[in-house]
Amino acid sequence: MTELNEIKKTLAAIKGIEAQLSIFALSSREEEAQIALHEAMVQAGQIKHDIQKRIYALERNKTS
Amino acid sequence: MTVFDVMYRSLIFIVVLFVVTKILGKKHISQLSFFEYITGITLGDIAGEVILGEDMHIMHGVAGILVFSAISYISDILTLKSRKFRAVIEGRDTVFIQDGKIREKGLKKEKYTIEDLAALLRDKGVFEIKDVEYAILEPKGKLSVLLKKENQPLTAKDLNLFLPNEKEPQTIIMDGQVIYEALAKTGKNIQWVKTELKKLGTTIDQVFFAQVNTYGDLSADLYDDQTKPSHPNERQLLLALIKRTQAELEMLSYQTQEAENKQIFTQNADKMKVIQQNIEPYLRA
Repeated sequence: MTELNEIKKTLAAIKGIEAQLSIFALSSREEEAQIALHEAMVQAGQIKHDIQKRIYALERNKTS
Repeated sequence: MTVFDVMYRSLIFIVVLFVVTKILGKKHISQLSFFEYITGITLGDIAGEVILGEDMHIMHGVAGILVFSAISYISDILTLKSRKFRAVIEGRDTVFIQDGKIREKGLKKEKYTIEDLAALLRDKGVFEIKDVEYAILEPKGKLSVLLKKENQPLTAKDLNLFLPNEKEPQTIIMDGQVIYEALAKTGKNIQWVKTELKKLGTTIDQVFFAQVNTYGDLSADLYDDQTKPSHPNERQLLLALIKRTQAELEMLSYQTQEAENKQIFTQNADKMKVIQQNIEPYLRA
């Protein structure tokens, strides 16, 4: 598997984590848990953006 | 006196006692004070006497019950208002052990022998008096025991362990019937219940009992005891996924040749580690 593919696979996993965190944050009744899970979701979103940007950059290099 | 006499007397007193006990409330069931204890016994006794006693007048019995319950009710209200009155009616507690030493005076005052005290302590699972820091005889006659700190059960706080707080679980299905009141408290709707049950491979009418916990996990007990619904622990799965992804990010940072890429992957692997540490307590519980 090429490096790009592997990065894409990891990105997919991160997206899954973000979504699942969002579900748990919404379904918790304890406020503390809601806040912690929501924050984790936001942070996962930031990681997602970083990796996404990497993928775009790599793809651009490839085509050029 | 005929059988019918007994029957209609019984009916009357069932109604009277039912009303009286409803008015007096739960406090009288727990019989916290000697006075409540006596009231309880006397009410039952009056009713019993009048139901079976031929020469007893029903109204006399009712009057007795009313007087007893009325005075009990008034004393309830007065004990709420005045601390002094409370001490008189409900009695005071007596210290039996203080600073780890037996108070002989207290024992003598309540006419308890050392064997009585030892028996009460054993009842609490304490077999050595030296383990006790403080013990007090409550007005109701029960012994409350404070163990020395070293003998107390270990708590999460003692271990400096962070355990997230949990709310009370809500019972949302009983006997195959959805309890909408409890469901509303969980913030879910009937559609969610159906979807969750589908995941477990069942439907509402097959569920005998179902609860939702703090994190919105649904657990169900089915009528059919042969089939066991699988309860996948999605939160622990997520924790595993986070750990795996964190490892993958680290792996990518080793594999890549470009310095810029390496830095970004390392950073994000660290971020993922922080996420994992922050929410692990919530996903583990």
